[in-house]
Amino acid sequence: MSYIGNITDTFSSIFEGMSITFSQFFRPAYTVQYPDRMPVRVQDTLPYRYRGILEVDLEICTGCLACERACPINCIVIDAEKNKETKALVLKRFDIDMAKCMYCGLCSEPCPTGSIHHTREFEGSDYSLESLVRRFVKVPVDAYKPKKTGENDPAIVPILERGMRYIEEFAQPEKKAS
Amino acid sequence: MSVEIELAGEGGGLATEEMVLNMGPQHPSTHGVLRFIVTADGEVMRRAVPDIGYLHRSIEKIAEKVGWHGFMPYTDRVDYVAAMTANQGWAMCAERLGGIEVPKRGEYCRVIAAELGRACSHLLGFGAMGMDIGAITPFTHALREREMINDLLEELCGARLTFNYLRIGGVAWDLPPGYEEKVLRFLDRFELAVDEMGELLSDNRIWVERLAGVAPVPPAMAMAYGLAGPNLRASGVNYDCRKAHPYSVYNDFEFDVPVGTGEKGELGDCYDRYICRLREIRQSSRIVRQAIEKIPDGPVIAKVPRNFKPRAGDCHVVLESARGEMDWYCASDGTEYPYRVHIKTGSFTAMSIMEALSPGLMIADLVAVIASFDIVAPEVDR
Repeated sequence: MSYIGNITDTFSSIFEGMSITFSQFFRPAYTVQYPDRMPVRVQDTLPYRYRGILEVDLEICTGCLACERACPINCIVIDAEKNKETKALVLKRFDIDMAKCMYCGLCSEPCPTGSIHHTREFEGSDYSLESLVRRFVKVPVDAYKPKKTGENDPAIVPILERGMRYIEEFAQPEKKAS
Repeated sequence: MSVEIELAGEGGGLATEEMVLNMGPQHPSTHGVLRFIVTADGEVMRRAVPDIGYLHRSIEKIAEKVGWHGFMPYTDRVDYVAAMTANQGWAMCAERLGGIEVPKRGEYCRVIAAELGRACSHLLGFGAMGMDIGAITPFTHALREREMINDLLEELCGARLTFNYLRIGGVAWDLPPGYEEKVLRFLDRFELAVDEMGELLSDNRIWVERLAGVAPVPPAMAMAYGLAGPNLRASGVNYDCRKAHPYSVYNDFEFDVPVGTGEKGELGDCYDRYICRLREIRQSSRIVRQAIEKIPDGPVIAKVPRNFKPRAGDCHVVLESARGEMDWYCASDGTEYPYRVHIKTGSFTAMSIMEALSPGLMIADLVAVIASFDIVAPEVDR
């Protein structure tokens, strides 16, 4: 008797499962066909806090080395020297090894101007490890110096604003503390 | 179900040789890089000895080199399936040594994130369990829900797996605008989906036959081997760190601790471990609902200096991770770097019981046992 009971049990539980599977036909699909058949780019659908590939706006980098110190795996290398004549800080090297980077976001938190920031870009595959080292300084440039008085160069005002918005929404948790 | 081992050669049977099999390190059902040395007599195992260490990344040693703030992203990698609780363990260690009080809102944010992470981890746990045993459909259902939780966590902290959301003294970012409604809307749908997934498996005849009565762990044995979390509770021991010695703000919430009863087979069998996880998902969503309801206003992080130097001394922090009790021991000598960190995790103790459970099991059941303990290989080795 239990033999027949087992058979009916097995069949009924299969149909119970199949009814759920069958009901999926009438529900909206959740899968997307990445990358070529997306209605919008994935990058544009990501939330603001998304931690993608790092980007540096050299125009507003103050050369304070806070990001280099914060990085737990030392993937950021910065050479900044004082120019003896003009007394200005000159950035000679700003390299980020994206192959090492673990996208933790600890570097962009202490940045005072929001210069180093995460983009929403994540497609970073490349053919060699060397090309993953992003070298931001092509020719040595003067570091940005916050102006106490007077106007900023109009060219960098939008970049500064972007940096400030980034800090506002993303970085520097300790400044928001009570 | 255990099979009577017929001794070879006795009773006029054919004499058979024992065979040593290697299962792993690269085996799809060992959930990472795990190796079992199986001594088998035909289909029946005499012994299965786990060989761990393939995923050892010396995370504890790294802590001594990268400092208090810098170690936080590494804790994500201790258990990458439920990274939030590992984050929390480290944060609690540093806070206890540094004497930092976490703001109330920060604690609530932590609870919301940790419970979402726990649900996420259990979903993967039982989805992968179904797949190991041969039921592929529940896996796709579980992963669909898990992706939605990942979307929520991504919006909260910018990453889907290695969150790095907590900071010493609180959390890095407040809940984004409109986040509460979004989570509640998700939970409404999610709870129905979890029930549906349960329907797919819990009463399925094949599923029950495959798991009920397989490798039962009696309560005394579970405690002797130091099992933790859902594995321990499946054996009928009602012990949950969130209830036994509440940390964070878990005192404020009402939730039940699902305990195994041996409803389909024996107490503490694979089925009990499965059903405990499934029920815990519902409890997690209950906690998240209460946390969203009660979350107070205010700052999310306390003031912590960038070159944080706690007092010299040591501390021991216990918290409930998705894979059970997670012990963090941390010694500090008052400098910028911790002197010693030690982590004990639930997967590690679950591995220790394997050798004792294996005699008399079928080789095919070993897969079910590994899956039912929800072992994550990086958490075993750290």
